[in-house]
This record gives sequence, C-alpha cells and structure tokens, in this order.
Amino acid sequence: MNREETFEAEVLPQLRPLFGMAYRLTGNAHDAEDLVQETMLRAYRAFDRYRPGTNARAWLFTILHRLRTDALRRKGRRPETVELVDDGPPVPPVHEESLTSGREDIVRALEGLPESFRAAVVLRDVEEFSYAEIAKILEIPVGTVMSRIHRGRALLRQTLSGRLG
Amino acid sequence: MSCDREQITAHVDDALGDVAREAVETHAAECETCRVQLADERTLRARLRTLPSPELPFGLEQRVRARLKRRRRMSRATRVALPLAAALVVALWARGYAPFVAWELSRDHQHCFAMETLPAQVWGSEPEQVARWYGEQGDHLPLLPASVGGLSLVGGRYCPLPDVSFAPHLYYVSDEAQVSVFVVRHGVRMRDDYRRRVRGNAVALLRVGRDLVGVVGEDDDRVADFVSRLRTSVAALGEQEPSAARILRPSS
Repeated sequence: MNREETFEAEVLPQLRPLFGMAYRLTGNAHDAEDLVQETMLRAYRAFDRYRPGTNARAWLFTILHRLRTDALRRKGRRPETVELVDDGPPVPPVHEESLTSGREDIVRALEGLPESFRAAVVLRDVEEFSYAEIAKILEIPVGTVMSRIHRGRALLRQTLSGRLG
Repeated sequence: MSCDREQITAHVDDALGDVAREAVETHAAECETCRVQLADERTLRARLRTLPSPELPFGLEQRVRARLKRRRRMSRATRVALPLAAALVVALWARGYAPFVAWELSRDHQHCFAMETLPAQVWGSEPEQVARWYGEQGDHLPLLPASVGGLSLVGGRYCPLPDVSFAPHLYYVSDEAQVSVFVVRHGVRMRDDYRRRVRGNAVALLRVGRDLVGVVGEDDDRVADFVSRLRTSVAALGEQEPSAARILRPSS
C-alpha cells in the first residue's frame, strides 16, 4: 500500500467519531466540519510521523484537540474551566429515572458544561478512551484528567437533578 | 477512608489499582453519599455511552477526499517545481561565473575525448566547411584557423552544458595531443583572460573578437601556446579579409 492508500484505510474510517467529537466541542455542524477538514489535512501532512497499526483514533483526536485549542486561542478565548473548591458543588442524590429520562436533557446538560470538562467526559464516556489516552490527547496529566471527568460528571448530575428534582 | 469523590470517579472508570479499589468499595458500603455518587456516575456513563452520535453532514467524506486530492496534487507540484526552480536559479547564477564555466568546459572536453570515436556532428578540416554546418543550424562561428601549433581541426558539435546552454565545441587534434575550443554564447564575469587548471585540464577563457572562447587541453604550455597562436592567426585572417566581418558566415 502506498502512502495515500494507507492514509485512506487508517484515517477515513475515523471520520464519524471525529465529527462527533468536533460537533460536541463546537456545538454546530458548520464549525465541526471545518475542524474535521483541518484535522484531516493536518493528519495528512503529518502522516509520515504516524506508525501504521498504532492507535489512529487517539492520534487524530490529539490533532483535533490541538487545532481546537489553537483556534480558541486565536479568538482570544481559552477553553473555559471552572475553578471548583474541593469537590465541587454539593450534589444532591439523583433519582435514577432523572438520569435516564430524556436524551435531549442529557445532550443539553452536556452542552452546558465548560468545554474542558466536556472534552474529558466525552472522551471517556462516549469515546471510551482510557485515562492515559485522554491525558495524551488533551496534553494534561492523568490526575487532571480524573479531576476534570469527576467535575464534569458532578456538574451533569447537578444540572439533571436541579431540573428534575 | 474518608470520602474521596475523585476516587469514586476513578473506580467507576476502572482506573484504580487493587488496593485502592478495595478501599473505595469498603468505604462506599458504609457511606450513603459515595454510594449514590457511584450509582449516579454509572448510570450517567451508561446514558452517555448510548447517546446517538451527531449525524454526519451529507457529502462530508467526499469533501474530505476532494480536499486531500487537491492537497496531494499541490504537494506533488511543489515537490517537482521547487527543486526545478532552485536548479534554474543556480544555473542562471552559475552561468556567468568563470570558475563554473571553466569546470563545465573541462568536464565536456574530458567527456568527448574519453570516447572511442569523437561524438562530432560535423567532420572536416576546413573551417569554412565546418562553419557552414553551424550556419545551417542558424549559428555563426568566429573566424577560426584550420590548424594551430601543430593541432588540426577535425570537426565539431554542440555540447549540452549543465548551465542549460549549448556551446559549439570544436575538436583540434595532433598525434600526441587534443585541444577543445568552445564558443561560449553567454557573458562570463571576468576582467581579463581567465586561466586555471580544472579537473586535471588547463582551461583558458579569452575574448576572440566579439566572441568568448574557451580553450581546454591537458598540458598548460600547449594550451598557452595554442591561445597565443590562435590570437595571431585570427588577427591575420582578419587582416586578409578586411572587408569581411570578423565572423565567418556560411557562404551561400
């Protein structure tokens, strides 16, 4: 297989998960497509550094995240983080049915999360990456990954219980 | 163990070692808040995992493929065009640089005389006859003698040089020596005559009338002698035919 064929075989099947992530980060299909296109071009240029057979999905998500961070920085925005004291807001117990009630509610709650938490939660709970992989993708320590996922989930529980409780 | 909410999260994600996991489980068995968190996070995680992925915009894959294709074409063009442009710039710069011209001529002299038979395109010992052939190619040769210092004209050809030009190359031979005379059509940056040994050959660049001529041979003295005799005979030829141009034109 030549370079083009290897690229298409390894990278193009990742289009759907990449677009999913891009959509959840940007919140709209237009920006998500731009981000995915840029990711593909960047991946194509850097493809010599990719070792075929290794984790293409994680490699592509790393590129996508880096592009997203750069774009936000250019706009003068940092992916917002919420400084939570200790363990974050007190979370009242949530009844199971409120967490299982509506997909729209969960999607909306997810959209309401600060982007850095949203990224960590989506990579873990939707894309099923391990903490170590997420640490590589987001270029942060594993401890920070754990804390972002924890806080992200805590905020989701709070939002869902607040509405339904 | 007291409540450590992040440890609960890590436990939900199977990210704890055996000891930590056991500690969390023991604690959760006794702590209602942590038990609820554990259950909530598991439920939340299950719900998130089954969220349908956003719909792929129609034609996205085609657009990605098309963009990659454009990019490939562009990079292929750059791969070819850049070195070509660089080579051209170097050639244009080097074209008038005397040491480079001397190197080119010495290289070509060696190349031609290393062959079993000279790669001449025109054979002949009469300058007029040789000049006529060049004239047919649309080129005018300077006035050159039939023999210089015991070396006789035997023929010539056009030599492709690395600077992307074609130089008339005339062969002069005797029993024991070979000398090349090149007519260099482009300007060379040099104040006086240029003489140097290059690649094992003596090279002289000099102006003969309006032309720039390169003389190449193995032996320094022989080349020096050839150059001075060439000057004399060209001057003499010029005097014999004062009305003729200093360039030998093909007779019609």
